[in-house]
Amino acid sequence: MNSVGPVLEGRELTRSFWVKQSRGLLARRARVHAVEGVTVRLDPGRVTALVGESGAGKTTVARLLARIITPDAGDVLLDGRPAPPGRPRAYAAQVQMVFQDPFASLNPVHKVRHHLVRPLQIHHMAHGDLDGAVSELLRRVALKPPDQFAVKFPHELSGGQRQRVAIARALAVRPRVLIADEPVSMLDVSIRLGVLNLLADLRDREKLAILYVTHDIASARYLADTIMVMYAGQLVESAPSVDLTDHPAHPYTQLLLAAAPDPDRAEPPALAGRGAPPSLLAPPSGCRFHPRCPYVMDICRRQVPPSVAVSADHSAACWLHVDPSERRVNEKGLAATTTARDSLDQRN
Amino acid sequence: MTINSTSLAGIPPVAGPNAELVFRRTRILRLPRSPKVIAGVVILAFFGVLAIVGRWIAPYSPNATDEQSWVQHVLVPGTGAGTGFPASYYPLPLPPSAAHWLGTTVFAQDVWSQLLAATQATLFVGLLAAAIATVLSILFGVTAGYLGGGTDEGLSLVANVFLAIPGLPLLIVLADYVPSAGSSVLLVAAIIAVTTWAYSSRTLRAQTLSLRNREFVEAARVSGERPVRIMLVEVLPNLIPIVAASFLFTALAAIGAYVAIAFLGLAGSPSSSPPGLWNWGEMLREGFANNAVRGGWWWWWAPPGICIALLGTGLALLNFGIDEFINPRLRATGLSRRTAKKVGIGLRPKLGMTPVARHQPLVVLPNRSTTASTPSPVHDAAEPALEVRGLSVDYGYGDQAVHAVVDCDLVLRRGQVLGLAGESGSGKTTLALAAIRLLRAPALITAGQVLFYSKPISGDGPVGTVDMLSATDEELRAVRWSEIAVVLQSSLNALNPVITIGAQFDDLLRVHRPFLSPSARRARAGELLDLVGMNADRLRSYPHELSGGMRQRAMIAMAIALEPQVMILDEPTTALDVVTQREILEELTGLRDRIDFATLFITHDLSLLVELADEIAVMYAGRVMERAPAASLFHAPRLPYTHALLHSFPPMHGPRVPMAGLKGSTPDMHDLPGGCAFHPRCSWAMPRCHQEIPKLAPLDGSPREVACWLHRDDAIVPAELALPEPDVMKVRAQ
Repeated sequence: MNSVGPVLEGRELTRSFWVKQSRGLLARRARVHAVEGVTVRLDPGRVTALVGESGAGKTTVARLLARIITPDAGDVLLDGRPAPPGRPRAYAAQVQMVFQDPFASLNPVHKVRHHLVRPLQIHHMAHGDLDGAVSELLRRVALKPPDQFAVKFPHELSGGQRQRVAIARALAVRPRVLIADEPVSMLDVSIRLGVLNLLADLRDREKLAILYVTHDIASARYLADTIMVMYAGQLVESAPSVDLTDHPAHPYTQLLLAAAPDPDRAEPPALAGRGAPPSLLAPPSGCRFHPRCPYVMDICRRQVPPSVAVSADHSAACWLHVDPSERRVNEKGLAATTTARDSLDQRN
Repeated sequence: MTINSTSLAGIPPVAGPNAELVFRRTRILRLPRSPKVIAGVVILAFFGVLAIVGRWIAPYSPNATDEQSWVQHVLVPGTGAGTGFPASYYPLPLPPSAAHWLGTTVFAQDVWSQLLAATQATLFVGLLAAAIATVLSILFGVTAGYLGGGTDEGLSLVANVFLAIPGLPLLIVLADYVPSAGSSVLLVAAIIAVTTWAYSSRTLRAQTLSLRNREFVEAARVSGERPVRIMLVEVLPNLIPIVAASFLFTALAAIGAYVAIAFLGLAGSPSSSPPGLWNWGEMLREGFANNAVRGGWWWWWAPPGICIALLGTGLALLNFGIDEFINPRLRATGLSRRTAKKVGIGLRPKLGMTPVARHQPLVVLPNRSTTASTPSPVHDAAEPALEVRGLSVDYGYGDQAVHAVVDCDLVLRRGQVLGLAGESGSGKTTLALAAIRLLRAPALITAGQVLFYSKPISGDGPVGTVDMLSATDEELRAVRWSEIAVVLQSSLNALNPVITIGAQFDDLLRVHRPFLSPSARRARAGELLDLVGMNADRLRSYPHELSGGMRQRAMIAMAIALEPQVMILDEPTTALDVVTQREILEELTGLRDRIDFATLFITHDLSLLVELADEIAVMYAGRVMERAPAASLFHAPRLPYTHALLHSFPPMHGPRVPMAGLKGSTPDMHDLPGGCAFHPRCSWAMPRCHQEIPKLAPLDGSPREVACWLHRDDAIVPAELALPEPDVMKVRAQ
C-alpha cells in the first residue's frame, strides 16, 4: 500500500542462543530457539507493533533489526540492500533504538546534554552549533525549556522525562528507523499516553519508520498501523491494527485479546487455551501453539502452518485458515512452502 | 516499584558554573555526614597538614644531634670501678621538654622533627603505592570486565596469580634483591603496588561485568561509541565510589607494608648510603634496636606507633563512609536519641514491627465519619474485617519526614474485594503494609487506628477486635499469615530459593497446625496447590524451576493455607503476562467465593480493578481521593484524577481517537504542591484548589466519597464529572 519500499526489512530471521544446562566442566549446552523465520518490514511513516508474551522473542527481533546481535539465518535489508556486517556507524545513523527502562538507559553520572552531544559528535551532525542542536532535539521531544533540561542529571527527571531524553538521543543522528523496545512499560499509567503520542507525532511529522515492541495489545492498537503477534519465537498473525484486534484470526491472538483487561466487557472472558508458552529448548512439533489450542487438528501436531492471507493485508499462520483440500496436500510436505511463499508475495 | 518522584517545578535554575561544579562533585560522591566520616576526614586532614607543613615547622633536622644537651651517658651496671670491668656507658635519651617536645633519641636527635619527616615520607610512599595499584587495578579490572571472553580470562588469570603470591614475603625478597631499593621511594612504592593491586582489580572487574549489561552502556554502543570511550566515559565514572574505596583500602595496606619492610630494615636507613627516608617503621626499628621499650623511653617509640594506629583508623572510618554510600542499607536508621524521644519511639526499632509514634491519638475523634458505620455500598450485609481509620505514615523523622500516607480510611469487608489504585509513589503499598505493621524503620506511623475484627475460620487465631497499632509482638504474630496473609509482587524473592515448595508448605503447616501428621501436611499441601490450579507434583520443585505465574500461584496457595480472613495482594500479577494474570485472577475470585476472605487488591492498573473489585479507592500523593463502588467509579468518576486515569487506557474497541492523557508528571513527595496535590495537573483547578487541601467526604445521597473542591459548596461541577450513576442493579446482573 506504500509506493515507497520498506526502509528496513528483516527476512526469515532466525536466531538461537546456547545455554548451559548444568554447572561444572561437563555442562551440557542446549539450544534455545529464540526466534525462527520471522519476517518484518518497516515502512516510512508507519508504526509496526510487535506484540507477544515475555519470552516470545519480541526483544530478540528488535535487537536483530538494530544489529546489536546478528541472525543465525535470514537477512536484514536496509533500503533493499543487505545491511553491512557488524554494526558500522553508517548503520547506527539510520537505525536507532529506545530501551525499555528509562532508569537504566541513561548514565546516572552524565547530564542530559552529554547523552545528546555524544551521538551528534560521533556522527558529525551538529555542524559547529552543538548547543543549538541539543536545544532543537529537546524541543522535538517536548522538553521545554530546553536549556533547563540540558544541564540536568537523569535522577532529577521523572520517568516520562527520562524516556523523552532517551528518544531524543535516538533522534540525534536523524535516523529513519526507530526501534522502541517496550518504551512505556516501565512508566506510570498517567504519563504513558504522552510518550505514545510523541512517537505517533514523530511518525506523522518526520515520517519515521517505528517498530513498537510491547506486551500491551491495547497500546499497540492505539499507536500502531500494523500489529504483528509473536508466539514462542514465531510470527503467528499480522494485520492492520484495528482489523487484528476486531477480527483476530489466530487462536493465540484471540486468547491474548480475551485475557487483556477490558473494563467495557460485560462479563468475565472465557479463556480458550490456558497454560503457558512452551519451553524453547524443545519447542513442540508442528504449530507451536498446538498444545494449548482449543481447535487443534491432527495436522497441527505434525506440520508447521504456513502463513495464509485471511483478508487483504491480514495473514495468520494457522491451519484453520488453509483450505481443507490443501491441508491434505500439505501433509505430503509439498504445498505448505508454496502457500507460504504465495502469501509472502502477496504482501510484497 | 519504580520511584518516580522528581518534578521540574521544584528545581531552581542553576546559579552559574561554580554552583554547578560543586553540585556535580558532591553528587558523585556525596558521603553520608555521619560522625564516623567526619572523624575519618579530620584524622586524614590532620596528617595531610602535618606532612605538607612538616618541613617548615620542624625545629631541627631529623638527623641533627643536639650538641648542647648532648647525650647523658649512664654507666652500664656491672662495669666500671670496683667490678673489674672497664667502665662502659650507654647513652640516655632526653625526655620531652620545651626544647624537645617529644624528647630525643639516644643519638640526641629530636623525635618531633623525625616524626614530621617520617609522616611526610610514610604518607607519600603509601599514597603513591596506592595510586599505582589503583591505576593497575582499573586497567586490568575494567578492561577484563568490559571486554570479557578471552581477554577477561587472560587478565583475570594474571590477577589471580598475584592474589595467590603471599604479599609480604615477596615484598621482603624484592626489597632485599634490589640493592638500592631502600633509597628509591619510587621503587619501594612500585614494589608495594605490585603486591596489592590484585584485590581491587577483582572487585572492579565484577562491578564492570554488571555495568556492561546495563542499558546505558548498550545505548552508547548502539549510538556508535567506541569501546575505549565507553570504558572511560560511560563505565568508569560509575565506578568512582568503588575506586575510591579500593584506593583507601590499598593506601592502608601500602602504609602497613611500607612500615613493615622499614621495620625489618629493608627500606633503607637514613644513615646508610645512599640514605633512605625517615619513616614510622624506621623510627620504630631504631627505637627497638636501642632498647627504647625496655628503657621506658616511651616518647621515642609511642608517637610513631600511635600515628600508624591513628592513620589506619582514619582511613578505615572514611572507608565505612564510602561503603555506606555504595550500599545505603548499611546506614543505620539515622535516629538520634533526641529525635527518638521527640517522636516517641524506641531507639532501636524491632525488625518486622513498624514503629508507632507514642503520642498519636489512640481513639479517633467521635465526630469523624467512620466508614464502618456507613452501610456497605454493594452488600449491605457484608461485615468489616479490617478497618483503617485516619492512618498516617511518615518516612523519616522531624523536618525531614516524607508524609507518604496522610489520614487514610479503608474498610475491608468479608467476601469483598477492595481495589486500591494509584501510581508509583502514591503510598498504596505503604498504606497496606503499615496497616499490618510490616514496614521497617524509618517508616513511622504517626496517627490513626487499625482494627482487625477477628473471627477465625479455622485454627486458634484470636477472637474479637485486635488493635493492630498497640498490639504486642506476640499478638501480631498470632494474627499475621494465619489471619491476615500477604502476597507480594516479587514471588521469586518471597520464596526461599534453596528448599522445595513442598518443604516450605511443610514449615508453614508444622508451625501453625501442629496437630497434623507429616502425611496429613503433605496431603494438605497438595490440596492447596490443586486449589490454585497446580499439580501436586510441583511440591518437589524448587522455586527457580517454576515459571513466574506458577510461583505466584504457589505464593497464593501458601497465603490461603491457614484460611486467612484478610488477603492483601500487592500487585500480585504486575510482573506476569496477560494470560497468566487472567488465570490467577480467576483462581483468586474462585477462592474468595469459597473461603469468604476480605481482599485488598493493590495495583496501578485501574482497568484491571474495574473488572475485579467491588469497591475502588484511588490514591494520589498519599491520600485516598475517591472511593466508590467499582461500576460507579468506572462509569461516572467524580474526581478529575480518576477521570484522567480512566482516559489513559486506550480502549480495545471502537474507532481509534487521539487521547490526551494526563499532563505533567507524578508529584514529588518531598515537595508537594500546596492545596490539593493534584491541582497542577488538573484541568478544572480553581483558586481554592491551590490553597486548601480537600478532605474525603461523602457525596450527597450516595455511598461514594470524593476529596475534591469541585463537589463542595456551590462549585460548578463539569459535565464530565457529573455523569449519571450507572444502574447498580443492571451492573450487578451482568
